[in-house]
Amino acid sequence: MIRPDAPILLEITNLHAQIDDQPILHGVNLTIRAGEIHALMGRNGSGKSTLSKVLAGHPAYTVTEGSVRFEGEDLLALSPEERARRGVFLGFQYPVEIPGVSNLEFLRVATNARRQQLGDDELDTFSFEDLVRERLGVVQMDPAFLDRSVNEGFSGGEKKRNEILQMALLNPRVAILDETDSGLDIDALRIVAGGVCQLAGPNNATLLITHYQRLLEAITPDFVHVMAAGRLLRTGGKELALELEERGYDWVDEELAAPRPASPVEAR
Amino acid sequence: MSTTSLESLVATPYKYGFVTDIETEKFSKGLDEDVIRRISAIKEEPPFLLDFRLRAYRHWLTMAEPDWAALSHPLINFQDIIYYAAPKQNAKKASLDEVDPKLLDTFEKLGIPLSEQKRLSNVAVDAVFDSVSIATTFKEKLSEHGVIFCSISEAVREHPHLIEHYLGSVVPLSDNFFATLNSAVFSDGSFVFIPKGVECPMELSTYFRINSGDTGQFERTLIVAEEGSSVSYLEGCTAPMFDTNQLHAAVVELVALDEASIKYSTVQNWYAGDADGVGGIYNFVTKRGHCRGRHSRISWTQVETGSAITWKYPSCVLQGADSVGEFYSVALTNNHQQADTGTKMIHVGPRTRSTIVSKGISAGSSSNTYRGLVQIGPKAVGARNFSQCDSMLIGDQAGANTHPYIRSQQPDADVEHEASTCRISEDQLFYLQSRGIGVEEAVSMMVSGFCRDVFNQLPMEFAAEADKLLALKLEGSVG
Amino acid sequence: MPTLSPLPPTARAPRGHDWLTALLKATAGPGGAAGSGADPLEAGREGARAALAHAGLPGRNHEAWRFTDPLPLTALAPHLLASPASAAPDQPSPLPAATGSTLRIHLDAPDTHARAAWPDGIERLEGEALRKAVLGSVLTDTGVEQEWAVALNTAIVPRVLALRVCGTVAPCLELVSQAGARGGVLPLRVLLLLEEGASLTLLQVHLAEGPSLTSVVMDIALGRDARLQHGLVARGVDEAALLAVTAVRQAAGSRWSQTSLCSGWGLARQEPVVLQSEGRADTRLRGLHWLEGHQLADTHSRMRFAGPEGSLDQLHKVVAAGESRSVFNGCVQVPRDAQRTHASQLSRGLLLSDRARIDTKPELEIVADDVRCTHGATISRPREEQLFYLRSRGIAAEQASRLLLRGVCEEVSAELPAAAGAWSPLSFLNAASQRP
Repeated sequence: MIRPDAPILLEITNLHAQIDDQPILHGVNLTIRAGEIHALMGRNGSGKSTLSKVLAGHPAYTVTEGSVRFEGEDLLALSPEERARRGVFLGFQYPVEIPGVSNLEFLRVATNARRQQLGDDELDTFSFEDLVRERLGVVQMDPAFLDRSVNEGFSGGEKKRNEILQMALLNPRVAILDETDSGLDIDALRIVAGGVCQLAGPNNATLLITHYQRLLEAITPDFVHVMAAGRLLRTGGKELALELEERGYDWVDEELAAPRPASPVEAR
Repeated sequence: MSTTSLESLVATPYKYGFVTDIETEKFSKGLDEDVIRRISAIKEEPPFLLDFRLRAYRHWLTMAEPDWAALSHPLINFQDIIYYAAPKQNAKKASLDEVDPKLLDTFEKLGIPLSEQKRLSNVAVDAVFDSVSIATTFKEKLSEHGVIFCSISEAVREHPHLIEHYLGSVVPLSDNFFATLNSAVFSDGSFVFIPKGVECPMELSTYFRINSGDTGQFERTLIVAEEGSSVSYLEGCTAPMFDTNQLHAAVVELVALDEASIKYSTVQNWYAGDADGVGGIYNFVTKRGHCRGRHSRISWTQVETGSAITWKYPSCVLQGADSVGEFYSVALTNNHQQADTGTKMIHVGPRTRSTIVSKGISAGSSSNTYRGLVQIGPKAVGARNFSQCDSMLIGDQAGANTHPYIRSQQPDADVEHEASTCRISEDQLFYLQSRGIGVEEAVSMMVSGFCRDVFNQLPMEFAAEADKLLALKLEGSVG
Repeated sequence: MPTLSPLPPTARAPRGHDWLTALLKATAGPGGAAGSGADPLEAGREGARAALAHAGLPGRNHEAWRFTDPLPLTALAPHLLASPASAAPDQPSPLPAATGSTLRIHLDAPDTHARAAWPDGIERLEGEALRKAVLGSVLTDTGVEQEWAVALNTAIVPRVLALRVCGTVAPCLELVSQAGARGGVLPLRVLLLLEEGASLTLLQVHLAEGPSLTSVVMDIALGRDARLQHGLVARGVDEAALLAVTAVRQAAGSRWSQTSLCSGWGLARQEPVVLQSEGRADTRLRGLHWLEGHQLADTHSRMRFAGPEGSLDQLHKVVAAGESRSVFNGCVQVPRDAQRTHASQLSRGLLLSDRARIDTKPELEIVADDVRCTHGATISRPREEQLFYLRSRGIAAEQASRLLLRGVCEEVSAELPAAAGAWSPLSFLNAASQRP
């Protein structure tokens, strides 16, 4: 939902970042307002995942230039957990397994950290269980997953559903979903997409990172951005995704080969 | 997350390092037959025990300190140790009111209130201060069930026949250098006797406190569970911070008869020395359980967080048919701590089963060694063992060694061993952080998750305690 | 590890003194390095002889020999086996014919080495070239130089076969020794240098048919990106002993893959000792011991990663029947610099009799934090469920267990070089099934 007067949640300006001295992002500009759903598309290696990791504060990446403001605040100055508590959520492409740490306990601690930030009461074990069981419905997940270790031995689809469950519990302002559709069969995709749609509202925003059109059939984006070589090459509406599906990404190479426009591509 | 900040997480000040200022009756330093005779005389021991001590001492003189463990420390001068120290005017008091309030305060500060009003509900405590037991709670209630729970000195006087029958029957007086020394000079410790068919109505616990700076502690614990009985016992240990090393050489013997079950848990938090490795307890302990009867069960659970040096292998001799031995261990080392710990499971009888779960966490410049032996004897038809030894390394200066010996002489037996080494990965830490969980809590969650299989074995009352202790050890500023 | 030097002098004669003295005497004098006059082994020999005479045979107090007593060796004739190629009074059994794709070298017939048709890429080193090849440096680097089995070999071995390998060598190189029925001691020493990028398939075969000791030391250096596929088939008899040390130093990018099958020896001890001097190399070890009667087999492996990102994949299997004894000691050392090492070690023992015994002792020493190291050990008997499954498909119990045993062995034998097929490496299975 596009409302030009909606407050700006996330404002990325000329963002440059690198990992192990290798520059990946070369000046990303993107503004996201409340209520919007953005899709970020592009080939493997175009910098999509790097952008998501930088936004979440992964320590392996260094920001060399530019800024990111989240609700007016300097996001880059915050630790990963502070970002999460303020409402930035990253749904991982490859959620890591953490043997020994109970999923339920993990979800409770994370949820309470977020609630504390929002000024809500912490939930005790019992009321949390009620909440989590209710939210399980969003992703149609078996409660048995709660008793297992975080992501340990989960199938690809189960891991992704666990990510969406976390999103449902943490109630983020900006959710960045990194290739949430990869490795999902059609049913799992439907469930995950349904979860994302249910959770999208006028006060939060979603950034979907994908390189296929198929997730966007289930979730209609307000904006589609094409990323290449560490910057946003083009921005359009949902029709851009269809165009990509038809034409593929070859035109991107042509555009990259062409002289770079004088001003950075405007995201809106 | 850099390793330096992880390392700072595990550096935490020792909270039990205070010294109780109390007048103490001490022997002068050194060990000879006269010292042993005096210990025996003070404790009014029967002749058989003096004889036991002297035989041990004479044998000890012929022995050499073992050197096979992955430990290094300056030579211990056994003549530079005080072998007996006790708070003054202290014959054991008939009632707690007569116990020096300073001692009661000490234990209260350690979280072990002994007074009638504050004592832990449903846990009977024997409190040992340096060389003597100063109080045992709930004795009367226990005796209604026929359970004997008292200091070993008292047991020597009150139940000499039991002591004579069982003492040294599991750990013979010539067993090993430190056990033999203990047999010669042991001062106090606990004695537990659960008669036939009795399920001990409450948790039993002994709390060991070293107070004196130059005294060795040589406690001796003996637990006997008769046919069909069961008991759960926990020991806790702390000591003040001194910049010298104190020797602690204990012996624990467990005897389980037919269908008896003994669960022995330890939360060891002796002073570990400072960040440079100065001071701390040298903990050389011999613990062994003898599953004498059929269907008997002995279970060791230990959480080892303290001591400069830990040398300890709680073991089970599985003699009775269908008997069960278990060993669950968490050993956390930091700074310059050294731990060489593990277990021996000796399968003698048919269909005996054992389980070993060992979790070693090494941080700083510490070294953490698992050393174990699983032996399946020729008569142990149908015996089973499962062992799992996992190490977690924090920082690149810490070492983890794993030495699991396995010896099998019985084709109809299964022995299975698994081991792995891991660290807290940056990705796991980031994942938890990205869900709003702070670094300290994230590390603590992962460490406690790593140890969960072991904590699950602790008695309810103490599981939380152990988790807290580990969290404490992991508490600190984030770098 | 037992070294020879630090033993205190004792009043008593060292263990096995008489036998060792006789053996040393029988092997005194120049080793007979043909032609050049320079004996490349001379430098180390005197030291080794002195140390050996002083220390005697290792006993129980040596941790590395705790379960393996070499004392039975003293029953062997204390002289070197006559070379079967020069005079063959004991008529050893004929060997399978070598195929066109293999080059067979008789280690015990050194006079044939000069005449051998060495293929492209293999150069035999002699004289000056051999001395320059830094003979023994791998033994020093891997720390086995002082170990008893190596010292014994150094003390008595008359010559070394030294080969330099460049590029890819097409035929499989077969190094064969055969100790016939007459008895004695057969010391063998091979130096193998694989230059950068070299690639070789090697099959080492040791056979024994009489009361003999085959003492073999392989001294192998792999240059960067070199590949050595290394098979070892060792088949002995109850009166025969094998002491085989394989010391390997691997440069970055190299791969050493050894598969060994050992059966029949009264006493067999294998010591694969590997140093990844720069890390970033691959080591793959597959071993199977088949034991019957009163046989004893002992494998002491040691793997050290001196640099980052190395890998080890080790599987050791043993099948122990009769009153046999098996010892496995697998040491893996991951020092601080060896970050991102990936080591996995698995030992699987199968006890077929209640008079057999298996001792397993894995040792992991890890000081680097970013590593994945696992080890596992199992000792068990053939699985009832598997047996039942086969029987429920109509296979008789005895045949079913034979099938299962074959499966256990084939997991290892399948990785031998193709040329090993000619040596029937699993022949012990047939022998076993014919026994009552």
